[in-house]
Amino acid sequence: MSYTLTGRLESRLAALVVPVLAAAAASAALAEWWPLELAGLMAAAGLALDLLYHRPLAYQPGWAAVPLGLLELAATMLLVRRLGVAAPLGWALLFFGLAWLWSQLLAHALLPLWRMSWGEDGGELGWRVAGVAVVALALPFAAAGGVYRHNLPPLVRLSAGVHQGPLVIDRRERLVGAPGAVVRGGIVVRHRDVTVSHVRVEGGTYGIEVLGVRNVTLDHVDVAGVELDGIHARHSSVHVRHCAIDLRGSPEAQGIDISYGLNQGMSDVERCTVVGGRDGIVVHGSMAMFAHNRVEATRMTGISMVEMSMGEVAHNTVSGARGIGILCGDRSMCEIAHNRVDGTVRDDAGGNRMRAGIGVEVEFWSEAELHRNALTENPQHLGVFLNGTVDWR
Amino acid sequence: MPGRAAIVGGGLCGFVAYLTLRRAGIDDVTVFAAPWAAGGRPDPGPGAGSAAGASSHADPAASFRRRAAAIRQTHMRSESDGHCLPTSFPGLAVRDARTRRSLRPLVESVADRYHPTVETFLEQVEEQRRASGWAPVAARIRTIRPVEGGFELAWLEAPADVPPAPGREGRRLRRQGHGTFAHVLVATGHPGLFVPEELRDDARVVHAYEPHDYPASVCVVGAGLAAATEWRNARAAGSSVASVRRREPLRRPLNVPRPYLSRRGLARFHRLADDERAAALRELLAPSIPPGREWDPPEAEPHVNGADQVVCATGFLRGIEHDPLLSRLAAEHDLHVVDGRLVLAPDATVPALTDGARSLALAGVAAQWAYPAADTLMGARWVAHAFARRCRTR
Repeated sequence: MSYTLTGRLESRLAALVVPVLAAAAASAALAEWWPLELAGLMAAAGLALDLLYHRPLAYQPGWAAVPLGLLELAATMLLVRRLGVAAPLGWALLFFGLAWLWSQLLAHALLPLWRMSWGEDGGELGWRVAGVAVVALALPFAAAGGVYRHNLPPLVRLSAGVHQGPLVIDRRERLVGAPGAVVRGGIVVRHRDVTVSHVRVEGGTYGIEVLGVRNVTLDHVDVAGVELDGIHARHSSVHVRHCAIDLRGSPEAQGIDISYGLNQGMSDVERCTVVGGRDGIVVHGSMAMFAHNRVEATRMTGISMVEMSMGEVAHNTVSGARGIGILCGDRSMCEIAHNRVDGTVRDDAGGNRMRAGIGVEVEFWSEAELHRNALTENPQHLGVFLNGTVDWR
Repeated sequence: MPGRAAIVGGGLCGFVAYLTLRRAGIDDVTVFAAPWAAGGRPDPGPGAGSAAGASSHADPAASFRRRAAAIRQTHMRSESDGHCLPTSFPGLAVRDARTRRSLRPLVESVADRYHPTVETFLEQVEEQRRASGWAPVAARIRTIRPVEGGFELAWLEAPADVPPAPGREGRRLRRQGHGTFAHVLVATGHPGLFVPEELRDDARVVHAYEPHDYPASVCVVGAGLAAATEWRNARAAGSSVASVRRREPLRRPLNVPRPYLSRRGLARFHRLADDERAAALRELLAPSIPPGREWDPPEAEPHVNGADQVVCATGFLRGIEHDPLLSRLAAEHDLHVVDGRLVLAPDATVPALTDGARSLALAGVAAQWAYPAADTLMGARWVAHAFARRCRTR
């Protein structure tokens, strides 16, 4: 088949209609966004690649559908991963595979049967058919956008200036601070589906406290001058992004503490900076992913995953921690990859070998999988104690 | 009231057009198939080798069948979609997979390695012939005259109870007829076999498409697929084989590069000026053979004089001057001819004789100006689709 560019795009649009409608139906049935998000990314990847390989492929033999399909699958899954679409891998592969089979059936049998000259026209279907396909594709996404907007929690804007806390949020809400908005005395979140963004919190026992709820997002929050934890999540799942926590002057404080949230699902902390305090980012008895964070000058550990926690610590930078850089302890299971730990300082003056300035420490029946961590200028790069086990990928 | 559509020619191109028009919902179609040969060095023996139960003019594959038998062709050069149906799917690979209960034809087709057997192709043609109600009028069109809203065709018809015969005696028995049609497709096929002038009087010469056997030494003249088939045949028969050719054959799987089979390559081709297009056609239609060692020319010293037999695999007469109907049409209406080809619109219609109400289109080798591979089954289908569009919308 020798596609024209128009033919390639129009045939692609026609082939996408059924998978996108199926994905929309699946999204509605499951009350989940990922099927539609996955279909959208598959469409975007396919259309973009069509533009890319139109010129080199003056003729596309039938067998080329296999390598091109694999290329499109890789591009789609890369986008899924990059954009954090929560599509289960197995279902995503099944969906892609079925969509690919449908497109092959369409290209080799149904379109040639339906339009006698489809092949001779280089895959062109005409503006009417293409228009119908575009409308059919746009409708589910437009409907999904409407549903999303309709379901968004109410928006509360926090004006610039200092607001006396503690601020208690006990309903679905998006609290968005104007530039210069400061809450003094902390924020307490007691309801699910709450987002707090662009707010600076100063003082208080905890900066932001999340208690017994799930699906709480903290985005672009700054915390400083607290007594104990910058962000304190108990029996909750939180998504923390782009936060900055300054614990200098709070020697007993922890940057982010997520504890006992196993039954609330996965928490994650991404692109946050924690400076000073006792521990940087800590998880107890929860599932969590910490990625692309920066932790500096802590007094106990930089990042720790303990008390039967499970999760991933990846692409973080831990500098100048006293005692331990990254800790996986107390029967936890940790995947520790692509982190940089440097300048860890010894804290074993009392004879505690487990605090001898160790870059990565695995202890007490914990299992850690290590992969490509850069451990430099640490008195001891790796420490394994009390039946901890390490596996190198 | 003129008839809706007429197809002049009962060969494979005419058959493809007929099936396409029927599929497009156009039932008012008259097909004219000449029951006797025209001038030139004719294809051998009308009626020879026709499908069982079909007279020569009623068998759309009669000419192809004879030529394939003459060169002992076993496989088609075309692929799965080289058939007479109006849609490329289901192709012959699907049919083969079904009858052989094997996925192999489909896998080969996906890899562009499937070439149906001549037998498979002919079986399908026969099935379609029987199923489609194909019943051409046994008549030779003598003139095509444009009239208001269509074309008047004048023909010589052989009575059904009189066996067709060439020459003066045959003509005496034929009766004249005429009719008017809004849309006419001329698919008269190749005008005759070509033999180089210097070999015409040589008693040892046989054209590749004429029945022949192989003596001890054979010289094959030509460089296309028919020549390559003859090299193989003669070698297999134990003859010593020499090849005489003016140029080395191009190596490509199909007659023309694949992009020229669809709009992608044709759009650029149609933008060429007349002289550029004529040059492009000479280049595109140069003799070619598929890749593969089995098609390699013989290495024996080329010679003609010492050979017991000279096989001219030199194809067909080229140019509309060899086609009485087209040459008369061109002369009467002063049609634009370049390099022996009628200049056509991209949809294979004759621009000077086509307007909003009527169409005169060419198919087969005469349509190469619009579609370089027009003399293939893909080309027949392409012209038929364009013709059906005109019949449906005008």
